[in-house]
Amino acid sequence: MSKLSLGRKTSTVKLNSWVEPSFGDLLGGSAVKSLGLKKVSRSNESLSKARSFAEDPSEKKPKKRKADSHVLAHQFPSSSKTSLEDRDEPWVDTHAPNSQAELAVHKKKVEEVENWLRIHLDLKRANQGGAILLLTGPSGCGKTATVQVLAQDLGCQIQEWSNPSTTSDYRADDAYTRVFDPDSRFNSFHGSSQTGAFQEFLLRANKYSRLQMSGDSQSTEHKIILIEDFPNQFYRQPSCLHDILRRFVRTGRCPLVFIVSDSLSGDRGSRLLFPKDVQEELGIHNISFNPVAPTSMMKVLSRIVTLEAGKGSGRIAVPDRASLELLCSGSAGDIRSAINSLQFSTLTDHSLEKGLWAGKKGKPASSSRKGSVKGRRKSKVHRATEMTEDSQAIGGKDASLFLFRALGKILYCKREAYEGSETPKLPSHLSEHQRDKLLIDPELVVERSHMSGEFFSLYLHQNYLDFFSDIEDVTRASEYLSAADFLTADWTSRATMLEYGSSVATRGLIHSNSARSSATSQSSVGFKPLHKPHWLHINKTYRENCLTAQSLFVSFCLPPVSLLTELVPYLAQLNNPMRNQAQIAFIQDVGHLSLRRFPGRLKLEVLGDKDPGGLDLDSEDEDSSNLATNPSTSTTAEEPAEQAEPSVEPTNPSSSQEVGGDFPASQPRPSNTEALLEEEDLIIEEYDSD
Amino acid sequence: MQAFLKGASTQSVKPQKDKSAGTSGEKKPRALPWVEKYRPKCVDEVAFQEEVVAVLKKSLEGADLPNLLFYGPPGTGKTSTILAAARQLYGPELYRQRVLELNASDERGIQVVREKVKNFAQLTVAGTRPDGKPCPPFKIVILDEADSMTGAAQAALRRTMEKESRTTRFCLICNYVSRIIEPLTSRCSKFRFKPLANQIQEERLLEICQKENLKYSKEAIDALVRVSEGDLRKAITYLQSAARLNSDKEITENSVIEIAGVVPPKLIENLLQICYKSTFEKLQIAVKNMIDEGYAATQILNQLHDVIIQETLSDKQKSVIAEKMAELDKCLADGADEYLQMMGLCSVIMQQAAQTD
Amino acid sequence: MSLWVDKYRPTTLAKLDYHKEQANQLKNLVQCGDFPHLLVYGPSGAGKKTRIMCLLRELYGAGVEKLRIEHQSITAPSKKKIEINTIASNYHLEVNPSDAGNSDRVVIQELIKTVAQSQQIQSSTQREFKVVLLTEVDRLTKDAQHALRRTMEKYTATCRLILCCNSTSKVISPIRSRCLAVRVPLPSVEEVCNVLSSVCRKEGLLLPGELAKQIAEKSGRNLRKALLMCEACRVQQYPFSADQDIPETDWEVYLRETAHAIVSQQSPQRLLEVRARLYELLTHCIPPEIIIKGLVTELLSNCDGHLKPEVAQLAAHYEHRLQLGSKAIYHLEAFVAKFMAIYKKFMEDGLDGFMF
Repeated sequence: MSKLSLGRKTSTVKLNSWVEPSFGDLLGGSAVKSLGLKKVSRSNESLSKARSFAEDPSEKKPKKRKADSHVLAHQFPSSSKTSLEDRDEPWVDTHAPNSQAELAVHKKKVEEVENWLRIHLDLKRANQGGAILLLTGPSGCGKTATVQVLAQDLGCQIQEWSNPSTTSDYRADDAYTRVFDPDSRFNSFHGSSQTGAFQEFLLRANKYSRLQMSGDSQSTEHKIILIEDFPNQFYRQPSCLHDILRRFVRTGRCPLVFIVSDSLSGDRGSRLLFPKDVQEELGIHNISFNPVAPTSMMKVLSRIVTLEAGKGSGRIAVPDRASLELLCSGSAGDIRSAINSLQFSTLTDHSLEKGLWAGKKGKPASSSRKGSVKGRRKSKVHRATEMTEDSQAIGGKDASLFLFRALGKILYCKREAYEGSETPKLPSHLSEHQRDKLLIDPELVVERSHMSGEFFSLYLHQNYLDFFSDIEDVTRASEYLSAADFLTADWTSRATMLEYGSSVATRGLIHSNSARSSATSQSSVGFKPLHKPHWLHINKTYRENCLTAQSLFVSFCLPPVSLLTELVPYLAQLNNPMRNQAQIAFIQDVGHLSLRRFPGRLKLEVLGDKDPGGLDLDSEDEDSSNLATNPSTSTTAEEPAEQAEPSVEPTNPSSSQEVGGDFPASQPRPSNTEALLEEEDLIIEEYDSD
Repeated sequence: MQAFLKGASTQSVKPQKDKSAGTSGEKKPRALPWVEKYRPKCVDEVAFQEEVVAVLKKSLEGADLPNLLFYGPPGTGKTSTILAAARQLYGPELYRQRVLELNASDERGIQVVREKVKNFAQLTVAGTRPDGKPCPPFKIVILDEADSMTGAAQAALRRTMEKESRTTRFCLICNYVSRIIEPLTSRCSKFRFKPLANQIQEERLLEICQKENLKYSKEAIDALVRVSEGDLRKAITYLQSAARLNSDKEITENSVIEIAGVVPPKLIENLLQICYKSTFEKLQIAVKNMIDEGYAATQILNQLHDVIIQETLSDKQKSVIAEKMAELDKCLADGADEYLQMMGLCSVIMQQAAQTD
Repeated sequence: MSLWVDKYRPTTLAKLDYHKEQANQLKNLVQCGDFPHLLVYGPSGAGKKTRIMCLLRELYGAGVEKLRIEHQSITAPSKKKIEINTIASNYHLEVNPSDAGNSDRVVIQELIKTVAQSQQIQSSTQREFKVVLLTEVDRLTKDAQHALRRTMEKYTATCRLILCCNSTSKVISPIRSRCLAVRVPLPSVEEVCNVLSSVCRKEGLLLPGELAKQIAEKSGRNLRKALLMCEACRVQQYPFSADQDIPETDWEVYLRETAHAIVSQQSPQRLLEVRARLYELLTHCIPPEIIIKGLVTELLSNCDGHLKPEVAQLAAHYEHRLQLGSKAIYHLEAFVAKFMAIYKKFMEDGLDGFMF
């Protein structure tokens, strides 16, 4: 059967709304909720034990019991591949992976996790400390599934935390659960202190593991604590979490696994909760997952289709290979959403479906025609994927653009010649403004990049110069950028003006590049690496230095400007003894300006083609570099061994062509600027909102 | 142009009354600003505004007083007039009970205006003074700087005005009548206060000089009249400052100009000549010098504007320059660098001047 | 050992080196008893602060020189905490409210309130008011300025304000009209020379007149800068020689080189290099408006007379945008690009004219 079931907790909201009606009442909200249940050990060795254990947690979370029991009923049958009535069951669940072979995650990743688990389950007794593993990666890449499958293989049991809820019915059940399940005691903390409850859970689960399991077979000695759900408090005060973890590391006995999903635009999960220094201090091992590779996904999808077609007896329409490919590329490596879309799209009785697919199929034809007409090296596949982004209706995932591609779209600004006679011509005195038709919609590109227009402009600003050859054009382009910033200057009108600002910036840049004004004049540029913007870093340093200067030299009672442009630079030239260490260091650093012609301070950071758009806003350093190493760049980015695996993986069709073969062989490793960017962003926001 | 004019004329909209408020807390007679000290005590003393004086005099003699709207440039005696009238109407004892002064730009918002005005207007009053003299059976609400009230606040006032008309008269004071909403203006009798004629100003200033035993030169008084541009309050304030700074010495033209922060006309003239005839390098130096001397760019701009209008340039040239000036005023208000902005303006003047030749 | 600037700063009105007449007037002002709010304005390095401190000393005696730096934290009504440094004596309080950014209004109101309400410690000083010295008033938000105007009236009895700023352009007129404005121009070149030589004399050094003049001119009559330069000269070489190089700050040199880079080549590639240099300047805390100003000065001296008016207007245009915008680099770069374009065009036209 299927080899996939992925972390279920986080299927996207959007997806749910799509899926809900056709799956029946059972699955709407509860399908998602029921996932807490997955702490259930899947070990087949003793189904009964699993059952009894499964009831525990279902009582621990009484609110979910109803759903749980249903799901339970379905789940076990389905895992024994006998169910026929699981028609309404989400395939994501019915086809959850049961063995390592069925996982869509790359073998090496699985191995890595497995090794870690083995080591720490064995050494558990020896080193008397809790070990912590942190799994990161985009949602739907198989993090949870991996842990579950491995736990099963290693014969250990998973105990999972889920946030207690405070709804009243919950309370009503509380007495009940308390009676029957000693473990549920910590649920009584409710809203009063999730944090306290969490701590209790962690330390208690830790302490009493053997007591609780004493009746079970010896295999249950092994236990993994899994945490996917974090009490909200931790997002506000990560230090609470850190304190608890410190205690855990001292006293803990079993491995603790955290799973944090990265998302393009949402929470800033792992970096906030697990900053680098804490990771080091506590010896947290971080393994980050990549989006599921299209080939693995294809395998899984076709397997599911075959299986379902076999037992479905004509109730489902078997999609052809092309539509599967579409699904793959549309899901952007999120296998959960891919399976959900698959299930949805195969429903025969869904009237909407035909139209959707028809519409889809119409388009690739036309756009690939364009491709062939232009005879670029871009293949049909590329065209097709590009199209997907434009018109994916059931794609599940928001058709989002990786920043790299979004920038490319603006900077390369593809145009198409007007056909024949209909070409509108500008009068001769305006002929310099004549442009061929744009193939892209700049506003849409910005929107899809998951980035505020302001940040997008910053990226554009960092990179546009490489694409211009004429200084006249540059002048116009820079004027537009300046105007864009000017437009958004007034904070009262800011919210409204932001969009216009980004329109001015993007369209201005596109229009002012006269070298690329017509469809025929475009190929000359060739590939240029893209870089991350410096400005945020620079601006931050500037402000920090200013503040430092003011606090260090407060005794001089000077206004900041004269302090910085007169006093400090001259102090650098005087050997005046009355300064303290900090002042001297600052003067050395800031007062002196190296007069080398081209400063080496600023290292360009190449923007990987897969770096998610929201990168600088929220996502994780680690993650991004991992993403960068993903298939298509893997040939190019010489990354340290840590993420060794990707080059083996097949290429993701969605963007490899863009990069082509000429990505420069070695580029400086993206370093910690993302962290800076992120912080920076926060500061800016605060500042602006005042 | 609009912005420019505005900048110029809002210059000293309202120090007068606030100063009174400030210094009244301070109980030292010697520290009384001269603008307070020499404020007209009765309507007869109000200089140069015959129409208003005539109306107010009638009402002093017992006639009813309409709602009033005084408008005109700053320092022309709007506040002084109504204060003097109120004093005469009620005498010193009743004055506090019967007159409510509201400074619209201090007490912003509808709520405040409504509450205060309502509470004040609700009490009815008798038609006699404690000392038995007759006095009008109404109270006066003075709304200073009414043009800085929001439209909504003004609209709210409209109802209040009608409702309380039995017991209360309103006197609205503003610089720009155009910023008062139509329904309000139609409920008031409007009086325009003219800028004081130089002659009148001079007389007043001389009078004060005599009373304060100041030594002054004729030119100093002329300069005062000139820099104050019909704003008597400004002139008196400058006079007092000059007196403070030059305790026993004679007040000279220079000290007046200095206090007013006015750029000496010679410098302006010089700058223009450089724009017309000289090189860009010289212009740079000249502008730099002016900024280094500490003159405010807005002040230079104002004076330059006055001069440019008189110059013998074609209308087209003048309009180009004037437009740039307007832009400059806005830029300066936004905090742009004075030197760069002045250079920008001067180079426009230079280019325009070059086109004639 | 302190810097010459601080070491030889005059402490009484009588000892001021220049604008003596104004010093006398200020003395009169103190004596006439009725002390108004002051608005002291003038370019940086003209000696405003020195003058104000002398005035305070005249008012209160030597006690004002016992300064202490205090770190105050003020809680805004919105519960936001604002940290600000103040410098205070028993008689006065100095604060730069613009340090607090957008919360400057709260700082002004709270600080002045505190000062005005606290009792004078020594009654022997026969002044019934304390002084609050606000620096960089022209950087205050409009909101804060309006608040200031109210506060000024409210606490006149116990508190006088001395406002200090570079230009009155950005000070709203109600404030201007409530204050006695005192303009402090930069000292003339001769006055700077005199100060320099007298300082050197006190240091036991011999300063050649030519060098003094050069320093004075190079400093742009900014006395603080001139003194710093002079001291740097001393470090660099003593005895002085009349034609010795006057040390410039690194950033000025760097900026000049940047200007040369712009003039010598106009291409997108060069613009990229210039951008890196601008970034470098920014990380060294040179404010963007200073950068553009310096750049303009250098570029103006490097380009043909016909271009100059246009360049000046460009500079004014972009500097204004820079003040309002949030990302200075856009505007700096746009200015440089524009300059490159017109410069290149001019040079090419010139070349064509030459050839045909």
